[in-house]
Amino acid sequence: MSITMLRIMIDPGCPFRLKAHWTRPRLDTFSHRCYSAFFERPQADAMDPADNSAVQDGAQLQGSAYLRIQGVSKSYGTETDRMKLALYDISLDVAEGEFLAVVGPSGCGKSTFLQIVAGLIAPSAGRVTLDSQVVNAPPESMVYLFQQYTKSLFPWRTVIDNVAFAVEHKAGMSRDKAREHSRRYLDMVGLAESAVRYPWQLSGGMQQRVAIARALAAQPRVLLMDEPFSSVDALTRLGLHSLILDLWQKQRFTVLLVTHDVDEAVFLADRVAVLSVLPSTIVRSIPTRLPRPRDSIATRELPHFLELRHQLLEMLLGRTQIA
Amino acid sequence: MVLLVLAAIETAVRLGMLNAALVPPPTTVAQRTFEIVASGVFLAPLGTTLYLLFVAYFAASLLAVILGLLMGRFVAMYNLFEPLVELLRPLPKPALLPPLILFLGLGDVMKLVVVGLAVFFPVLINTVQGVRGIDPVLINTARTFGCGRFAILLKVILPASLPLILAGMRVSLALGMILVVIAEMLAGTGGLGYLILDMQRSFRAQIMYAWLVILAVLGYALNAIFLALERRVIHWSAARSD
Repeated sequence: MSITMLRIMIDPGCPFRLKAHWTRPRLDTFSHRCYSAFFERPQADAMDPADNSAVQDGAQLQGSAYLRIQGVSKSYGTETDRMKLALYDISLDVAEGEFLAVVGPSGCGKSTFLQIVAGLIAPSAGRVTLDSQVVNAPPESMVYLFQQYTKSLFPWRTVIDNVAFAVEHKAGMSRDKAREHSRRYLDMVGLAESAVRYPWQLSGGMQQRVAIARALAAQPRVLLMDEPFSSVDALTRLGLHSLILDLWQKQRFTVLLVTHDVDEAVFLADRVAVLSVLPSTIVRSIPTRLPRPRDSIATRELPHFLELRHQLLEMLLGRTQIA
Repeated sequence: MVLLVLAAIETAVRLGMLNAALVPPPTTVAQRTFEIVASGVFLAPLGTTLYLLFVAYFAASLLAVILGLLMGRFVAMYNLFEPLVELLRPLPKPALLPPLILFLGLGDVMKLVVVGLAVFFPVLINTVQGVRGIDPVLINTARTFGCGRFAILLKVILPASLPLILAGMRVSLALGMILVVIAEMLAGTGGLGYLILDMQRSFRAQIMYAWLVILAVLGYALNAIFLALERRVIHWSAARSD
């Protein structure tokens, strides 16, 4: 059943108007799959029976990855409104300590996807598990780095207190202790000097470094990054890339980065997953297999880097058919 | 400019162009004002007025901020209170004096209520606006760091909407001043508003003007204190009043 047909039936002026009566499609068409994604309960749709029983028992899932995204779909609007399917049946496994990049064109729902992973918004279908625990609220071991650093830093707090925000609510954490803890992370991003300044007194690159310090101060096991380098200038971005790789190599947390910048994805990640246009789904996942530590200049000149970049751009620009 | 106008009035009165009984010469008013201030007579009426103003102002502001936070944060609360607020808000508060006198009599309670009502709405409206205008990124940031609902309200939403709350409170301070004077004129027993009316009724224009001067200075001082405090509290905000 096509969306147009549905809309005609919902149209009050239509003589054959059905009262919110939906005929269940018989064929396994794309629209049928959308239908399932909308209306069938996530568990029934997205998981195999073995997983299901394991969850009910509260036991460990067999052979599960650290961060699992299983059959996640997201639609907006209700049945009487115009429905919009933003994400469709996204499944992705991320290993512990892996640096995974998700690339996709603008407006493909990358942020929505990442916010679902973070537990900030609920999926319409499917589920996310972190270390076998279903994510339905932001887990403590997961931290989200927003693209809009200017909006995610608290303007009424000094730089050091912004970083301290990550830990000050934890048990047994006094104000001084939180600051001391935060100072170490400010040191790591090279901003110890700016501790008592306010975020709005710093440049964009410095503000994003504050945000990075704050994210890491929470000592996350998973760092979710939503195009965190897209609103700083090109040179600052290269500096931030090296910084984040350096910190990642030292602290070995798991990273899930969404970006529209293929170059950035290949340079940083162990694996690059490609997201299609709406309704977005993962169409390909490619391991980068580039040597580490990576160098801002040399790595980008490797033939394999260029090959990957070529391959990914072809996909994103729609020059190759994706099976 | 102020001095120029005063000098003009002074000349006009001395030349007999203005009736000295209605418009006493500014120098005389200044002298009377000085007498009142120097003798300490001003303290009791000032105390009465400030007591009414401050109690009503802070209590109403606090209630307005609490209700505003709830209305701004929860749609259900907004829908529940919005019609009532929109009904009461546009009503000129002095119009409520007669019914309030009927219900509450002429005592302090009535005055506190009417001043409180005047103070309440600008603070409430601004708080709701402030809370609703907060970027979701800010709140989501706090959520991802594991902040609970109450912690978010206290540590993110309240400070983030403080610039607008304070702007509302500044408007309310002026409104509160107006209402406290009106209330005292109608049912006063010793505040500034009462004295101004009393002096007028007993044809003591010089002293009436002296009290007016004191009232003007009070209004100016309160506003200046408010601005200074606001500058300190929200020095980080581009939305502060100065």
